[in-house]
Amino acid sequence: MVTNFQIPPVMLTLQIDSSIPCISPLGEAIHSLCLYATDSTECASQMQLAVIEAINNIVLHAYHNRKGNPITVKWNNENRQLRIEITDFGDSMTAPPIPELAPWDAENGRGWWIINACVDEYDYKVVFCDPQNAGPETGKPVTSPEKANILTLIKHY
Amino acid sequence: MILQHRSHNDIDVVQLSGRFAMADCGEINLSIQDLINQGHGKLLIDMEKVTFIDSSGCAVLVAAYKSLQLKAGRLVLVTSPSVQSLIELTRLHTIFEIFPNQDAALEAM
Repeated sequence: MVTNFQIPPVMLTLQIDSSIPCISPLGEAIHSLCLYATDSTECASQMQLAVIEAINNIVLHAYHNRKGNPITVKWNNENRQLRIEITDFGDSMTAPPIPELAPWDAENGRGWWIINACVDEYDYKVVFCDPQNAGPETGKPVTSPEKANILTLIKHY
Repeated sequence: MILQHRSHNDIDVVQLSGRFAMADCGEINLSIQDLINQGHGKLLIDMEKVTFIDSSGCAVLVAAYKSLQLKAGRLVLVTSPSVQSLIELTRLHTIFEIFPNQDAALEAM
């Protein structure tokens, strides 16, 4: 007899500072969580890689390599689906870049290609926490603390 | 991340172990570029013990390849499964010379 015990829905929230040494420990945590949920090293490695590429981008491009800013990672496992929501309060993108393969000799620009290959779906949105006081209509700068950038990565297993 | 260097005849052998990620890539890149500048144009980077690599690590490898091209040199890699996987995902396996272990790489050089 084979009995498949399902892991109940779980949501965990992790938070790191926007400094490069914090990224690898977070990656290890994501790998462990995904391995626990899926029992698949391939799935866990792909989610780890996607999250690290996303957070590398946040540290370098949203926070311009400045420490002292929060990055929140919500990890969710439900219905054989891993859902990781990464929130930052730095500079926003107008849209996620098209995942094109960089020329072989490029020394950057591979992150979104990798993210796209590692997950089944992703979504990027900018949420204005107080639409009365922030947003394009009011001309508030994109670095305004009233808004959050949210990248959601989804992988089915 | 640990970087160990040794010379084998006129070949510089760099052995990396641990996580090859953005936190260490700046220093590793400097070390490798120094070796290329001072070396004989033959570099073997052994990543058999690398447990994780991201696009920053790939960038270090690309920079090493380009620097050696300028010296008419040669870069040879030994990969772990995770390194091989990312190199293939980014199509860099069509550029790099890759061997399954250090002995095979040294013999080929």
